[in-house]
Amino acid sequence: MSPDLATALRNETPVAPDALRERIALVAAAPPSGRRPFPVRRLLALGIPAALAASAVGAAVIGLASSNKPAPESAANAELSVESRDQARGRLRAPLRRSLAPIPAPAGAAESQGRAVIPGTNRAQDVQAYLTVLVDGTEDLSATTQRALRTTRRLGGYVVNVQYGTPEPTEGTAELRVRVPVSRVQAAVVQFSELGRILAQQVQISDLQQPLDELTRRIRRLERRAQNAKGAELARIKREIAALRRERVEVNRRAAFATVGLDLTTHEPEKKVVVPGRLERAIDDATGVLTAELAIGAYALIVAAPILLLLAGGYAAARAYRRFADQRLLERA
Amino acid sequence: MAYTECVIDVTTARPSFASVAEAHLDDVYRYLLYVTANPSTAEELTSATFERALDRWHRFDPKRGTAQTWLCQLARSAALDHFRAESRRRRRESAFAAQAGPDAAELELPDDYGPVLRQALRTLSAADREVVVLRVVLEQDTQRAARVLGISPSACTTRLNRALERLEQKVRPRLVA
Repeated sequence: MSPDLATALRNETPVAPDALRERIALVAAAPPSGRRPFPVRRLLALGIPAALAASAVGAAVIGLASSNKPAPESAANAELSVESRDQARGRLRAPLRRSLAPIPAPAGAAESQGRAVIPGTNRAQDVQAYLTVLVDGTEDLSATTQRALRTTRRLGGYVVNVQYGTPEPTEGTAELRVRVPVSRVQAAVVQFSELGRILAQQVQISDLQQPLDELTRRIRRLERRAQNAKGAELARIKREIAALRRERVEVNRRAAFATVGLDLTTHEPEKKVVVPGRLERAIDDATGVLTAELAIGAYALIVAAPILLLLAGGYAAARAYRRFADQRLLERA
Repeated sequence: MAYTECVIDVTTARPSFASVAEAHLDDVYRYLLYVTANPSTAEELTSATFERALDRWHRFDPKRGTAQTWLCQLARSAALDHFRAESRRRRRESAFAAQAGPDAAELELPDDYGPVLRQALRTLSAADREVVVLRVVLEQDTQRAARVLGISPSACTTRLNRALERLEQKVRPRLVA
């Protein structure tokens, strides 16, 4: 462009006439619109972090609130079932003072089959052994139960109680409570262990020699007193001596036979569910809520994305067309 | 061109509307005069532009552009509205008028222009005159002019070169003569 042309364009272009200047002065004298601009960017800059913080706080509150509730039902049931099983065993075990070699279901239980050592001694002892053995199916359960009963009889023992049940075609349990001579309890445990895979075994021994000796001493003292007693006094001492002797017989009988509990089952017991603590539950619940929020957001985004793309495309096309139309309008003007 | 210092409102750190109107009245008028090539229409549209500017003054953000650019955008919008209304009116009046385009008689550039320049400007389209007034008369840089036009800077430069080429083709022979 020549400088002359540019200068001519600038110099020859008129300025606004005075009448227009006065009109604009009147317009400008009016107070500007008092409306405040809608702070979209500021709202977005504050709103998005606020929404994220609100969702995180909401998740934390929900997590803390739900952590106050009791543990989940399944966990509670599992705990109860374990407890009831232990209680049931406790009822059968009578007063136990000493517990030896409690062996929970080990991973390598097969390796310890028959390894439960029951110390041989001349002292009177109350020996109790409990085994849980896994067998293959209900058919094997029946046969194994029969074998256990035969083993008991062969060892000179007797059956106290048998509970056999197959509530499901593929599941069943048999609970045997037998008593075998103490001298053969080791053999009984070994032979019972060979009936299947050991899931748990426990041997408990409580000493009976001390109460037995005490009974003997009391009887002897009474016998000495009876030598000098007469009449009603003698009769009372004799009754006491008879009672103590019966009690000593009973203790000797308990010491002569060991109690063996054998649980045969076709399925492994449910593993104890570890009940999470309150903090863990709160974190789990809060994480769950956040995950759900993210999932809802992602779902909404997936559903809305095509619509948003269409809207954005339409907006861009409309804007481009409007520009094109404006340009065409100016070129024709 | 009359340059007037804008009065800054210290409470909002932006100029007052009255000072902006006073400073850029001539710019807006000249722009609209070029685009419409009609003094009376330019005056009407200038008035409409400042009324619209007063109404939307709260939207003006000095950080996003100068007041001149913002007012030129409003003026362009007002001019386009005017052209659209005129186009609809012509379509309604007759098919012939619609095909004929704007009446040559409506291009009434004022006598301030010399006869050569006035005749040359009449031959340009409004789009050409628009880019000329923005870049040459109002001396806006490419970025600001492109922003007013809603196109890229390179497209703005291309459009300016073509417009000036056409203008010089009309002006040079007469100036030489």
